[in-house]
Amino acid sequence: MTSDKMFRAMDISASGLRAEWVRMQVVANNVANAETTQTPEGGPYRRRQVLFSTVLDGLSGVTVRGVVPSASAPRMVHNPGHPDANADGLVAMPDISVPLEMVDMLTAGRAYEANLAAMRKFRQICEEAIKLLR
Amino acid sequence: MEPVSVNLGGVQPVGSGPAAEPGGPAQGSNFREMLDGYLREVNSLQTKAEMAVRDLAVGKSDSVHDVIVAVSEADLSFRLMMEVRNRLLEAYKEIMRMQV
Repeated sequence: MTSDKMFRAMDISASGLRAEWVRMQVVANNVANAETTQTPEGGPYRRRQVLFSTVLDGLSGVTVRGVVPSASAPRMVHNPGHPDANADGLVAMPDISVPLEMVDMLTAGRAYEANLAAMRKFRQICEEAIKLLR
Repeated sequence: MEPVSVNLGGVQPVGSGPAAEPGGPAQGSNFREMLDGYLREVNSLQTKAEMAVRDLAVGKSDSVHDVIVAVSEADLSFRLMMEVRNRLLEAYKEIMRMQV
């Protein structure tokens, strides 16, 4: 008897929790860097997105394929006094809208809760099944 | 009157149950080994849960969910093991109480 088969449902929910955890971190990073104009790779911060994909055999939950920067152009804001302003007085700001990020955060939180609910249910039916032995 | 010999099959000794049967599975997977393997499994899950809690406490890992999963799995498998054990002991006692 191997426990990884017995707790397959729990492991799937756990992979969902892990994925949403990463998504939460990415959203937090986006919000924190909403006004960042300098990055090591040059230019303003670029909004990060998570890419989810299923695990190969299709019934082992979800995995985070990567965290990729978005390709959309930076927002140009007129602010001649800014140290990072160009010759026209425009500053390249990150392409982040905080309200949208908050919606993303909410979605990630709810998805985390949904995975927790699935896990709780699995645990509950396991306990009910074990009670049959009494 | 000739005594009639009927092979009822009946109960076989636990240790040599399936292995002694001709044509049965040849591998020595007797009851004791099965129980032993299961106990090991439960024990390894307990160790895993303990490691997960320690890693979180020490700061080596940041995933609360991994700890929850490890502890839940350890808890559930341990409880299942306890119920099976209780059931087995009950059966054993029942047999010991039998009038011979």
